[in-house]
Amino acid sequence: MERPTTNAAAATPADRPAGGHPAFLPSDVDPTVFDEDFLRRLERLAVLVRRPVRGGLKGGRRSVKRGQSVEFADYRDYSLGDDLRQLDWNVYARLEKLLVKLFIEEEDLTVALLVDGSASMAHGAPDKLVFAKRAAAALGYVALAAEDRVVLASLAGRTSRRRAALRGSGRAFRLLAELSAIQPAAGPTDLVAACRHALAQVTGRGVIVLVSDLLDPGAERALRDLAGTGSEVIVLHVLAPDEVTPTLEGDLRLVDAETGATVDVTLDLAARERYTDRVEAWRNELATLAAKRRIAYVPLTSDLPLADLVFAELRRRRVVG
Amino acid sequence: MPFAAPLALLGLAFLPLVVAFWMLKLRRTERTVGSTLLWQRFGEDLQANAPWQRLRRSFLLLLQLLLVILLALLAAQPFTERPATLARDLVVVVDASASMAATDEAPSRLEAARARVLDALRDLPAGGRVSVVVAGAKPRVVVNATADMGRVRAALAAITATPATADMGEALALASALAARAGDAQVLVATDAAFTPPRDVAVAAPVTVLQVGRERQNQAIVAFAVRSAPTAVTRSVFISVANLDLEPATERVELWGDGRLLEARDLFLDPVSRADVGIDDVPLDVRVLEARLAGDDQLALDDRAWAIVPPDRLLRILLVSAGDPYLETALSFLPNAELYGVKPADYGAGTKPELFDLVIFDAALPASLPRVPTLAIAPPRTSPLGTVTGTLNDPALGRPAPDEPLLRYVDLTTLHVARATRLALPAWARTVVPTAAGDPLLFTGARDGVATGVLAFEPRRSDLPLQVAFPILVSNLVGELVGASRAPTAAVAPGALVSLPIPSGASGVQVTRPDGTTLDLAPSVIGGATATFASTEQLGVYTVTPLGLTSVGAAPGESPAGSPTAGPTTTPGGSGSPSPIVVDPSAPVQFAVDLFDLNESTIAPGSAAALEGLGSATTGGPAGGAANERPPARNDLWIPLAAIALAFLVLEAFVFQRDALVRIRRRLGHGPGRRPSAGAA
Repeated sequence: MERPTTNAAAATPADRPAGGHPAFLPSDVDPTVFDEDFLRRLERLAVLVRRPVRGGLKGGRRSVKRGQSVEFADYRDYSLGDDLRQLDWNVYARLEKLLVKLFIEEEDLTVALLVDGSASMAHGAPDKLVFAKRAAAALGYVALAAEDRVVLASLAGRTSRRRAALRGSGRAFRLLAELSAIQPAAGPTDLVAACRHALAQVTGRGVIVLVSDLLDPGAERALRDLAGTGSEVIVLHVLAPDEVTPTLEGDLRLVDAETGATVDVTLDLAARERYTDRVEAWRNELATLAAKRRIAYVPLTSDLPLADLVFAELRRRRVVG
Repeated sequence: MPFAAPLALLGLAFLPLVVAFWMLKLRRTERTVGSTLLWQRFGEDLQANAPWQRLRRSFLLLLQLLLVILLALLAAQPFTERPATLARDLVVVVDASASMAATDEAPSRLEAARARVLDALRDLPAGGRVSVVVAGAKPRVVVNATADMGRVRAALAAITATPATADMGEALALASALAARAGDAQVLVATDAAFTPPRDVAVAAPVTVLQVGRERQNQAIVAFAVRSAPTAVTRSVFISVANLDLEPATERVELWGDGRLLEARDLFLDPVSRADVGIDDVPLDVRVLEARLAGDDQLALDDRAWAIVPPDRLLRILLVSAGDPYLETALSFLPNAELYGVKPADYGAGTKPELFDLVIFDAALPASLPRVPTLAIAPPRTSPLGTVTGTLNDPALGRPAPDEPLLRYVDLTTLHVARATRLALPAWARTVVPTAAGDPLLFTGARDGVATGVLAFEPRRSDLPLQVAFPILVSNLVGELVGASRAPTAAVAPGALVSLPIPSGASGVQVTRPDGTTLDLAPSVIGGATATFASTEQLGVYTVTPLGLTSVGAAPGESPAGSPTAGPTTTPGGSGSPSPIVVDPSAPVQFAVDLFDLNESTIAPGSAAALEGLGSATTGGPAGGAANERPPARNDLWIPLAAIALAFLVLEAFVFQRDALVRIRRRLGHGPGRRPSAGAA
């Protein structure tokens, strides 16, 4: 498979303008999220999608349908109207029976990237939304390189904003620009409603990648809905490190970034350890649910380097390969 | 449980206040988080919007309540009572003599005595007052009738053993005077009783002895002297060591000279005996000798002694006389003395009397008296030496003081004086030999700081020259007058007064004690030639340095009289002028203070009953039955309460900082580590 190439390979630090932004990046791509180093890493990615899927256009993916590729699949009896070019004349010479050769069909795949754009994603250090954008970019870039169709949707409020479907590695910068345009929502986000809205906009079975912190009371319901589409679902569960192991201490009033709700807590070492246990248990519950629904669930923290995410975590979970 | 300040229990009213503080809602710091979804179970007071919240169970709250209770109890000063066994006014006499430094009771007898006094003071009635008398060489009151036990403890802690004999009789008399002021008094004596109980002392209060000391194992240096050897090339040293134990002992005696070990001898000492050691061939250049006992006994104070080697300098005596062969003969027999003579008519400014150690005027007086030690014999006229009021013919002798040092070994009972000058005793003098009528025949003293003696009769006008007493009296007189102008060469007893010479031209002297501390002394009288030094409590070598003088290193050529004109002569007719004294007047001189006290070295504890027998059976004062009216003794409970309160405070601090402690333990690698996985579930 041919790797997508961009003029980024020729970019060097000397090419950078005075502002420090990579010269090759289009102006609509957020340079703070997608810098040169990030794109160089993307170029080294390998692609893996697990099972044949039903697609639409002709593509590079093995389809469940028989078609016009060069890879032999089976024979079947000739019936009227079949393309005579597909008759196996050698078999006819030996057996005097008309058999038609069947070949494996190769179709494209729709990869739907659902990026959680709720206000909670803008919190944490490092920023979870930036991490989500980069993870989505990595997977989308890989999909584009595989001649798959990439559909990007950001979840905010109760709706999903679907961007135009992209196809072909040449649309990589468009994908990055679309990702750059995602901003955290101002109000609360209903993950279930937003997911349903997104699923309604995605046609056909394919791969659905949800990148979210799942900090929503209906997170489990949303996962069930995603699994119910029959698509292959990948959930990248992103939490900030200080959400997993908090450093807060003392008598605090915690304010929810989305809803403005407050919680009074008195945090000492024991309370923080209880909280960490609770987070672990929550993640385990989600993992159990995902396993039941054949969802690839990948718990992550936003400080995980992109290379580790792609080459270690996603490869280990057989999301990419 | 009774309380000294029960009103302080009102402090318990702070208990509700503490509880109220715990029920008040905290002013919390707001922090925005991505979502409160996971925090909601930790919102313990999530629904409390009122300023008050439900009281939570907390170990810290419990500790704080207990702390308030303890502090209130502490402020109320709880105590328990028991019958007092001591009188309300207690006079504590602490023996601070040298024997109290014995170590048979660790760390020392004085420390043990201190501890026993403090222990006994717990039986003092409530409101009881304590006086403390330190029985040293000069007993003194360090605390007078105070109820402040802190002051008493501080005073007791400040007492140190002095290397001197305690005047226990005087101390008890002082204690008796203090006790006599109170109605219910008692004298508590903390001592080893290692002394002869004082007699003729009656204490006006019961005496209780807190005796310390158990053993008597001690060896002591009781004499240490140095003299020139007959060869005059080296010196000899005499050391006397006493074994005061009931067991034989072997001791090593070491002789050190100027910090160098010169000689060491092993001595076998029989029980309760003395052994003498003579060491010859001590180098001439040694100035300070020290004798040490290398053994290990229970009193260290008497294991060292010091001696100053006297400078080899001849005394120069100028006799201004028309001629008295008796006197000249007696003076010529004095060791280490050179006698010079001049006739009264020849005495004048050219005689340079300041070059002599002693000037004797025999029946003559110059117009102005020299400022050197002077002995006047039968002064013919009124002068600063005394007012001549007439003549005494065949006066009868009175009785001199029995302990007069000038009359040591001098028997004047058969003395007859034919004629003597009648003198009025000047204010600066004391009578040594009086007549029966009280007129002084011999008196001495310090006239304007200059040692001066006056003999009211010429020896040839009496039968004194024919008696054995005459040369001895002359020797004693010369020794008294000349010795007073020098630093003492013999060992000085601790606490004794020392008269130190002030060289001509010096403004005073500086005394450096053995511990290195210094003391500046001015002349005893304005323009005087001596200063009195009394701070001789430390054993060792004292150095006396003149103040206001520069080291001149006098050379023979610097004599104010020019070159010597004549050698020594014993004839008063000769007109001799001595060579100048080749001694730097600014050079420091030294003297030693040694214990040399067999009584103090005998550390065997004495009889407590003898001391207690000096007290009266009942308490003194007008209220004889005061013992029955004593308030009980109190045991203060604040110390354990304070300790518990402190423990609570520490515990509260630990509880409050337990997070930090857990972190430290984990950082040190102890305890269960906790590293929540961040990347993968």
